[in-house]
Amino acid sequence: MYLVIVGGGKVGHPLASSLINEGHEVFVIDRDPGRVAVLQRELGMIATVGDASSLRALEDAGTSRAGAIIATTDSDEDNLAACQLARSNFDIPRTIAVANNPENAHLFELVGVDLVVSATDLVIANLATALPAHPLIRLMPMADRAQELVAVKLPAAGVVIGRTLSEITLPYGTNIILIVTADGRTKTPDADAVIEAEDEIVALSPANTTDELWEVLTELR
Amino acid sequence: MNSALATGRIPGDPGSSSERTKHQIERNTKLNVIIVGAGNLGSSLARKISDMGHRVTVIEKDPRAVSLLPRGRVESGVISVVHRDGSTGAAMIEAGIANADVFIAATGKDSLNGLAAQRAKTIFRVDQVMTAVKDAAARSLYDSLGIITIDKTAIASEQLAELMPKTQENQETPGKQTEQ
Repeated sequence: MYLVIVGGGKVGHPLASSLINEGHEVFVIDRDPGRVAVLQRELGMIATVGDASSLRALEDAGTSRAGAIIATTDSDEDNLAACQLARSNFDIPRTIAVANNPENAHLFELVGVDLVVSATDLVIANLATALPAHPLIRLMPMADRAQELVAVKLPAAGVVIGRTLSEITLPYGTNIILIVTADGRTKTPDADAVIEAEDEIVALSPANTTDELWEVLTELR
Repeated sequence: MNSALATGRIPGDPGSSSERTKHQIERNTKLNVIIVGAGNLGSSLARKISDMGHRVTVIEKDPRAVSLLPRGRVESGVISVVHRDGSTGAAMIEAGIANADVFIAATGKDSLNGLAAQRAKTIFRVDQVMTAVKDAAARSLYDSLGIITIDKTAIASEQLAELMPKTQENQETPGKQTEQ
């Protein structure tokens, strides 16, 4: 498919080379002659200097025969204008735009961009999955750092949910001090205290077994 | 042309009130106008519209650029200024877009004007949205979206062309010289 890419920067450049590798024919429009020179050196004569929020640049890039336009500049207004001009003047089948400012993602969709990629939202979503959802919180070192006061919030789908404290095998030397429920009540950590979803456990743990404690308390069913 | 600026509003006129919010009916003929951009166009618009007695808020990112605005009116608060990026929702909210009757995008960049105008129209549903454009393709695009477009170069060249001394030849073919 013939694809017009607007912006040959940190998104547009690698996108162009990966689409070429997949067998597509691509053409890149960028305002910056330096970037265009780099693209031409690395990928061949597939880039030109131009302002894609103007009709002429889109014409020169052969937008009328393109299957899609992908706007990747760091200027949201230019990405939107390129997509809209390509649609209104060349009846392009598919318009795709990066929204750098997350609030623009919704607007782009409302005004007819077919696919909107919100850069910030994607980064946040990826970062969030990379971090543990139920971290071990280290409250305080104690006993000359031999012990550590820690807190762990229990996942709703954890194996320990519904069990009593006596049914859970904790690392040697761990003392559960307090259980705080999701709605803020406290439970005395007796042997027959039942663990519920989203309980927060406060424990005094030997410093070298805190990771093990976390694994026991957050293991999923 | 259905221009709120040109017609004003008649006090107590119930006409077309179905779409008007309460404050708009009560407020009579004073309009709340937001202008994005305090360059030559934005500043002279702000002056003209405040001359007409309307409330004007100008959004301008660059603190230096507001020097073109009438200083006395800015200091006395007749013209309010919001120092932010005028294409963002936050700037528009700070400028009072919830109560705005007219929104005018008057920066020097077509695409920025287009984004701001579309946000004002689509997200904030401002009654009347206008934008300055330079490019003919942008003009027909924004026209088609229900946004009133102003091409200052076209207006200036038309006016200048009208001032041309009439010769026999161009009297016979009026309008030809205004094409570009």
